Amino acid sequence: MQFDQHISRQFNDDLEQIKTDMLEMGGVVARQVEDAVTALADADSELAEKVIRIEEEIDEREMTLDENCTLIIAKRQPAASDLRMVMSVIRTVHDLERIGDEAQKIAKLAIQLSQEGSAPRGYTEVRHIATAVRAMLNESLDAFTRFDAESALKTMAADEQVDQDYKSAIREMVTYMMEDPRSISRGINVLWALRSLERIGDHAKNICEQVVYLVRGTDIRHGNL
Amino acid sequence: MTKSHALRNQEKVRSRIEQNLKRRYRKEKIFRGFGIASIVFGLLCVAVLLTDIIYKGHGAFFQHYLQLEVQYDPETLGIEQVDESALALANFDGVIKDAMKARFPEARDRRARRELYSIPSTDAPFALRDRLQQAPQLLGERETIWVMVDDDVDAFIKSLDEIEGGFRGRVSERKAGWLMSLYESGELQNRFNTQFFTSGDSREPEQAGIKAALVGSALTLLVTLALSFPIGVAAAVYLEEFAPKNRWTDLIEVNINNLAAVPSIVFGLLGLAIFINFFELPRSAPLIGGLVLTLMTLPTIIISSRAAIKAVPPSIREAAMGMGASRIQVVFHHVLPLAMPGMLTGAIIGLAQALGETAPLLMIGMVAFIVDVPTGITDPATVLPVQIFLWADSPERAFIEKTSAAIMVLLAFLITMNLGAVWLRKKLERRW
Amino acid sequence: MNSIATAVSMPETAVQEGTDVDHKIEYPATTVGAPFVDKAKLRMRGIDVFYGDKQAIHNVSLDIGQHEVVAMIGPSGCGKSTFLRCLNRMNDTIEGCRVSGDIQLDGEQINGASVDVVPLRARVGMVFQKPNPFPKTIYENVAYGPRIHGLASRRAELDEIVETSLTRAGLWNEVKDRLDQPGTGLSGGQQQRLCIARAIAVSPEVILMDEPCSALDPIATARIEELISELRENFTIAIVTHSMQQAARVSQRTAYFHLGNLVEVNDTERVFTNPEHALTEAYITGRFG
Repeated sequence: MQFDQHISRQFNDDLEQIKTDMLEMGGVVARQVEDAVTALADADSELAEKVIRIEEEIDEREMTLDENCTLIIAKRQPAASDLRMVMSVIRTVHDLERIGDEAQKIAKLAIQLSQEGSAPRGYTEVRHIATAVRAMLNESLDAFTRFDAESALKTMAADEQVDQDYKSAIREMVTYMMEDPRSISRGINVLWALRSLERIGDHAKNICEQVVYLVRGTDIRHGNL
Repeated sequence: MTKSHALRNQEKVRSRIEQNLKRRYRKEKIFRGFGIASIVFGLLCVAVLLTDIIYKGHGAFFQHYLQLEVQYDPETLGIEQVDESALALANFDGVIKDAMKARFPEARDRRARRELYSIPSTDAPFALRDRLQQAPQLLGERETIWVMVDDDVDAFIKSLDEIEGGFRGRVSERKAGWLMSLYESGELQNRFNTQFFTSGDSREPEQAGIKAALVGSALTLLVTLALSFPIGVAAAVYLEEFAPKNRWTDLIEVNINNLAAVPSIVFGLLGLAIFINFFELPRSAPLIGGLVLTLMTLPTIIISSRAAIKAVPPSIREAAMGMGASRIQVVFHHVLPLAMPGMLTGAIIGLAQALGETAPLLMIGMVAFIVDVPTGITDPATVLPVQIFLWADSPERAFIEKTSAAIMVLLAFLITMNLGAVWLRKKLERRW
Repeated sequence: MNSIATAVSMPETAVQEGTDVDHKIEYPATTVGAPFVDKAKLRMRGIDVFYGDKQAIHNVSLDIGQHEVVAMIGPSGCGKSTFLRCLNRMNDTIEGCRVSGDIQLDGEQINGASVDVVPLRARVGMVFQKPNPFPKTIYENVAYGPRIHGLASRRAELDEIVETSLTRAGLWNEVKDRLDQPGTGLSGGQQQRLCIARAIAVSPEVILMDEPCSALDPIATARIEELISELRENFTIAIVTHSMQQAARVSQRTAYFHLGNLVEVNDTERVFTNPEHALTEAYITGRFG
């Protein structure tokens, strides 16, 4: 995978630019997830507000990247690996934006939870799943940077573990709530946060699928492995 | 920084260009001046040539005639009635002499008489004979007729306008006096010289015409055209379209190009050796002239035809071949129609060249003195340029104007042919 | 920058040059992809073409299926036009050009000195890069093929052939009132359609097109492309093109030629999204050309 050998140097630059922009956006989104989880765990409503603010910036980045990709298609009519590059960037950017949305949701929950006082039960599970999901997200972006389909496939496998952890966390939360009905409203908020983390894992998995499509040219979405 | 550097550079370049601009325009002007000068020079030369020829030659189209009162006296003529054999023997000379004597009774001694009798052309008795043959009832009658005057007389009278007292030449004082009196009394008249176009060559300038040479030229060119065009086109088509490209065809091509540069007299020698000595064809005939000129024009026609064929766009050939046309069909349906204007132009230029050719014809006897108008391609004949050459060589003053007049006819012929070429090309060359 | 091409032409220096993956690209021993089909209209096996001592085509094997459009792409001088011209023996007209190998049209050998090219070219028509109508009327242009092959015995029959051919080429409505006007007076795109009408007037089985749109504007090009997809119902078409988008639009299969080798043949969709060979990839993404 080399995008610096076109006869048109401008084309090289364009492709390089969307890739860099996308990875930069990925970095910001990963930071958002981390901050949102920290805000939740530490009941830090200031940090959570910062996350919500930055979400707007992510939306802007998404629109700029989309436009740049459209321009490349219009001007260069990319084919083969170039075409796959543009297509996977468009799709990945979409996933990243959704991850950003989920991080924003977590941040909002963090604000609500912080207003309700001390750390509730279930935070251990949240921390645990958050670590796994963040690792997935970082690995998927790494795989994109290195055009590494193998590690992308490995990362995808990690999603199953996250799903299992998510299910057991839910069972646990349900048990807590049955034990102590007063904690139900707080428990539901934690459930929402868990749910968002699980979605982030799914989006990270989608990014991995795009890496495989980009490198191998095969579409493995919806179980077409 | 780089930007300002680029800007500085642009300014430098601009000032450079402006500096050089004047010199460039001057050069251009000088070059254009040279071009115009050469064209003016060329036009001047042509103008001088044409003026000279027309000035010298226009007189040949006119001839002075003498009014004579003749009596077809059977006694002088020595005949009883008008018939073929009698007319052949009749003494028309005597009738003319009588008429002259009657006009100038003061000429008594022999020398004066001889001078007197030399005023009418030697053709005059034949004119009388023709007249009598036409109208036999005139025998014994009197009649006023006009006869041609001798070339010396004609030249003398024509020169009256230019030289004070006229160009005397062989004309004596006494004869000049008679002529002046005839001229002043209107008995000498300048008329259009039809004989120049209707008769063949003659030793007597006033009787000499170009018809024989004109017909000879036409017949020779006909033979040349009939042979060289089909042969040349066929050779060109074969070489361009069918012949394999190898050492042999290269050799042939080089030789054709060389042949075009061979001095024409060599073709004359070749014609002499092959057509006359080997094949024993009749010498001096348009047939051989045509054959020799064919040899000479073939290279020109082949080269121009090949150029015309080459100029047919290959895409047309490809299109036809792609449709499944055979090679012959490609040539006849597409290449030849498109190349025809160019080929015809080449052929006509070649023929025009042949028309003006003298040297090779000298070698095959077409330089002979031939009076009769040829009736076929095997009759002895001469051609226009050879006729010009012969007349230019003759001592009589009257032949000077004949030469120029013949040149004018030849030029008219050439211009007509070239106009024909232009017309043909315009007509055939339909731009699609 | 141009490292792929360099690596191919000078493999021994490429090894020393660097560690780039692409430097290791070499020719496949055989064509990659799917050069062969079951129901082949044209079957080519082991085609070599020489111009004098220079070999222009190296051992190319390819099938062209019935009623299929096969596009041939590749950089200039890769031999795609030369290969196309083998299929109706137009290379015969080039001095010093030698074609060896098996070419079969419906299982019938068409390469060889003993094969008559005149009926062959009636079966395999050709449309050229530059529109080249004959300097004759529109009618005569279309009628020429049927005339020389004796396809019409009466004038009415010929009229009908001319009309159907022009209609099929999508030109009838534009020219029906001026059939007696010169074909060269039409616009470039119309001229090219006239050439297509002329080619289909003799009802060929295969039509070869050698960059038919390279001299045309985009609208005329779109018309011709539309026409090609219509013609596919009745004819087998092989088209050489410089425009990859055009190949992608009109063809079912695409063959990529490089320096006289047939590198890859695959379904067009495959070639333009995920080509099998690195050279194909490099070419269609504009990395050399």
